[in-house]
Amino acid sequence: MKQEIHFVTGKGGVGKSVVAAALALKLSRQGKKVLLVELGDQSFFKDFFELADVTFHPQLIQPNLSLALWTGESCLREYAQYLVKVESLAKLFFDNAVMRAFINIAPGLPELAMLGKITSGPRKYGPPMPFDCVVVDAFATGHFKALMEAPAGMAQAVQIGPMGEQSRSIIRVLKDPEVSKYHIVSLPEELPLKESTELSEMLQKEFSVEPTLVMNKVLDVNIPRASLQNAESLTTSDLGLFAQYLEQQLDRQSQMMDQAKTKFKKILKVPLFFETNPWTLVEKAVEKLP
Amino acid sequence: MSQDFLKNTKVLVCVGSGGVGKTTVAASVGVLAAKQGLKVLVLTIDPAKRLAQTLGIEGTNDVTKVPGQNFKGELWASVIDHKKTFDDFVERAAQKSEAVRRIFDNSLYKQLSTNLSGSQEFTSLEKLYSVYESGKFDLIILDTPPTKHALDFLKAPQKLSALFSEGVAKWFRDPEGKKSGILSHLIQAGTRQVLKVLETLTGSQFIRELGDFFINIEQWQGKLLQRTTEVQRMLVAPTTKFFLVTSFDQAKLKEAEYFSREIRKGGYNLDTVILNRVFPHWLDLRVGYEGGTAEQGLADLYMQMKTYYNHRDAIYRQFEKKMSIEARVLRIPDLVKDVSDLSGLEEISALITEEEKSK
Repeated sequence: MKQEIHFVTGKGGVGKSVVAAALALKLSRQGKKVLLVELGDQSFFKDFFELADVTFHPQLIQPNLSLALWTGESCLREYAQYLVKVESLAKLFFDNAVMRAFINIAPGLPELAMLGKITSGPRKYGPPMPFDCVVVDAFATGHFKALMEAPAGMAQAVQIGPMGEQSRSIIRVLKDPEVSKYHIVSLPEELPLKESTELSEMLQKEFSVEPTLVMNKVLDVNIPRASLQNAESLTTSDLGLFAQYLEQQLDRQSQMMDQAKTKFKKILKVPLFFETNPWTLVEKAVEKLP
Repeated sequence: MSQDFLKNTKVLVCVGSGGVGKTTVAASVGVLAAKQGLKVLVLTIDPAKRLAQTLGIEGTNDVTKVPGQNFKGELWASVIDHKKTFDDFVERAAQKSEAVRRIFDNSLYKQLSTNLSGSQEFTSLEKLYSVYESGKFDLIILDTPPTKHALDFLKAPQKLSALFSEGVAKWFRDPEGKKSGILSHLIQAGTRQVLKVLETLTGSQFIRELGDFFINIEQWQGKLLQRTTEVQRMLVAPTTKFFLVTSFDQAKLKEAEYFSREIRKGGYNLDTVILNRVFPHWLDLRVGYEGGTAEQGLADLYMQMKTYYNHRDAIYRQFEKKMSIEARVLRIPDLVKDVSDLSGLEEISALITEEEKSK
């Protein structure tokens, strides 16, 4: 079986990490070995799941489900060790002050290193990745676009040599619909949906892939309009105001869903859960995924 | 005692991770300041369409006076165009048009100046500083680019200036040490090995591109570093205050605690932590539902929601107790509807004032 890569992105604050965790848990329960990856210096899941630490090396957090945190530097370091073979030389490289300053900011390099690591399984390049699925809790939409554009930018800037070759092979994997799946998480609100749509258009145009829209925090209620309007006159508590709020929310929600349908072929709905326990929240979301 | 933070404040930086409503908060504080009689500018990054319309800055990057206002002071707004700000900076710094054209053509510069890590932060601060320098406004409020972590914003300029430091640049401009003397040639033996590794990783063409990049920035790299120092001085000045905007869940509150520690270490002035959209503004957490004529499904949902928010309220109280030593903590309820006009912003600014008074 080919390794699958699932990219989960969306505007900040839409709950993409929870959706990514739910997707990873769901896949792991189907008997697949799953790696959930966070990108960047800071782990969200460390605080969220109250873990001791989240590191570059995957750690098992549930049966079949491992978690890791990858930075551009850590990916590049591993890649260098793999390529240079001589550990002391690789160490010399990364201990060099100039290199340290450089690799963190060199245009496109951290992005390329992360994508290189993410796609290393299907490309059969680099240290082994013993997983059936990699679920990437990726950057928010703006930075995600930059991440996706890095290999093309690099391939154009550097046509000859390992950078160019690697970039082109990464692009091939990103474009392969059998391998790379894209999930854009949104809320039924104007700004998140706008950003999701823009990103989807870019992915379709430049990678010919069809992303799935995951509409998160959808109010999943079956209360007739008449009952809501009836309740709005209540004055004994703020239940009346709640009914009013609910009605407004439902209106906006259906408006946003209609808009989303004109832009996305695949839409998934995840309801709003009033849940404070992190694992229970993820479990509830798992049930709603196909 | 209200609006103390506006006294002796020239710059107000709103930081926070993505999606917490920084832009709306920045604009609302702008309204608040304009009401106090200040001439205030709100610099935003990517406002929602209706907010941009409200501020009169849809489709323009000019500094614009917000239409339809009737405040004691004046409210101005602008959207930061990152690419243009970067290019403008280079043009001013490089002076010679030939050098400017060469760097604009460099493919690594093209990537750097668009939306790669660190450059948006740089351009935001560059824009802020140039307005600050002009002295045209009593107060400038900066809405910062979305980052995964609130702290990324403060780290970015240092990272960028590290790339532009002479040590790094010299290295790539003259990797063989040909231009320097015999002594440095000897010292650079280890360096050459390091460069060899980079070449194995990236290829010789990449190293050439880099060399080209660093040669082209030679003229203005000093100005960039000088600018970074000036910006840093402005950021730690007592007249610059930070607002941390955050949303209301446990992970975000932990982030806020971490952030406030780091911001203190860095010598910045964290003035206020704003918890945005904490709960719907109509919700009274203390009152229970006494039963009545409402449909069961509706009543159940209402109670579920109330229990949920009561739980969050308990977490919030702990947070506030811990944080109150370091900064003020204000909470703004979720107004539910999108802010679509100036009166919406006034509503939020009134809520901020109200919260302040209750402290």
